[in-house]
Amino acid sequence: MAGDLHPQIELSGVYTTYMGAELPVIRDMSIDINKGEFVIIGGPNGAGKTTLLETINGMLHITHGSVRVCGLDVTRQGVEVRKKTGYVLQSFAFDPLTPFTVEHVVMMGRYGILGCFRNPSEPDYRAVEESIKMLGLEDLSEKPIGTLSGGQQQKVLIAQNLAKKPEIMLLDEPFSNLDLFTREFVSDVMTEISSKGCTICMVSHAFDALPDKDLRIVVMDEGCIHLDTFCHSSEVEDNIRKISAVS
Amino acid sequence: MLECIIPNNIVCHAVEAMLFASIACSILGVIITQLKISSIGFTMAHAAFAGAACGMFFGYDPIISAIVVSILIALLIGPLSERAKMSEDTILGVLFGILMAIAIFFIAYMQYVGKGFNASSLLFGDVISLYRGEVYALALISLLAVVFVIAFYKEITAIIFDKKIAEASGIKVKPIYHALLFMIAFTVALSLNIVGGLLLYVWLITPAAIAYQFMYDVKGLFIVAPVVAAVVSVSGAVTGLEYCLPVGPLTAVVFSVIFIISVLFSRKRRISNRKF
Repeated sequence: MAGDLHPQIELSGVYTTYMGAELPVIRDMSIDINKGEFVIIGGPNGAGKTTLLETINGMLHITHGSVRVCGLDVTRQGVEVRKKTGYVLQSFAFDPLTPFTVEHVVMMGRYGILGCFRNPSEPDYRAVEESIKMLGLEDLSEKPIGTLSGGQQQKVLIAQNLAKKPEIMLLDEPFSNLDLFTREFVSDVMTEISSKGCTICMVSHAFDALPDKDLRIVVMDEGCIHLDTFCHSSEVEDNIRKISAVS
Repeated sequence: MLECIIPNNIVCHAVEAMLFASIACSILGVIITQLKISSIGFTMAHAAFAGAACGMFFGYDPIISAIVVSILIALLIGPLSERAKMSEDTILGVLFGILMAIAIFFIAYMQYVGKGFNASSLLFGDVISLYRGEVYALALISLLAVVFVIAFYKEITAIIFDKKIAEASGIKVKPIYHALLFMIAFTVALSLNIVGGLLLYVWLITPAAIAYQFMYDVKGLFIVAPVVAAVVSVSGAVTGLEYCLPVGPLTAVVFSVIFIISVLFSRKRRISNRKF
């Protein structure tokens, strides 16, 4: 199949600029990521890590270059790309009284795939149930999301993205609200879906719960890639520290 | 439509108007309160006001020009807020100022040249003096609003929850959000000169605010708010007409009293004394 011959994520000479900003946040970036790869994206604050994730799923405006994801041109087919791509946001804050239950929030992950004028059916409810179970949220499914702790809310958002059965999972500091045991639990979930062929791109500053295997690390600074290599999870932190110190 | 139950034409029209408009406005009210854009009500009232003043000044039918200007403003809210990168509430505030200024300018100028202009019927329509055609128009507008919300229920709830998360999940947020703002503004603008501003503002906010005190899920809000709105509005119309009391203010007061009671007894604010 043609899709298997090409990388799943292809960035070529990409520049991404925020509205109102004078300079691009991502500059002349080129990178290929293959199906099933587990990529850790590191670098200092303001390096462009979140911008890279939102460039991949087409939520930001690309001024130069091209981005292809799952064989689709992100500039023209951003919505289709987002239907195939999970994205767990870095920051979120829900009102404690917000009228959305955990189950409803997880189901929202299916809404894009369903499209307009189609209601969720049996496969959608099954996918939601599986995701909730995978993240261990069964007891919380009827609770309003605003009443949960930050870590539980983080797990709900991960479950929401898993419910769409993504081909690519983009995670922006998914461990930031989690305790050590929950980090390991979420890391195991990511390892499991990665082993099934889902590509993982994870921005993280926490390296104590990475999966025990060889990973690809990409270190960014000032919108450019400073290091792109493979190493064991135990060496990730050292590699990122070294390159960050140099840059 | 309800003549078989209510033989008196005046009461029947008032009850029908209150029923249709309260259901549609309270459903839209759930969205308005969750998106925190309650100023859309008075901004659209002033769009109609400015449109009518313009129309009068240039010799056009004030009702038609009020509707045309309201629709233009309704089309503008979404794209303007997107372009200006500001919250919808700020944009509504800006539009409110411009529209009020336009209305006052034309009214002052018409008074200066000796032309009279009475805006009260436009801003404070009267539910007890409605023609059959107006009741049908109100039913159609209300039906359109309800059908729109039902058709895009998934997308609307996702947008209410979080626009960025909705976009990331593959929903076409921008066109649906702009259509939603248009639908709210359109319904408000067209209902305004039939039922009047007072009841409209109450229906857009209070039933949703009452439902919010008790409901933990958005589906519950969409069911409870129109039920509360319909029951209180129809009771208000019947009681007002029976005892010769002003229907609009009476209904508004009843809604406010129910809101205060529901805040006092809201289970969301209850602090549990349980130890285990």
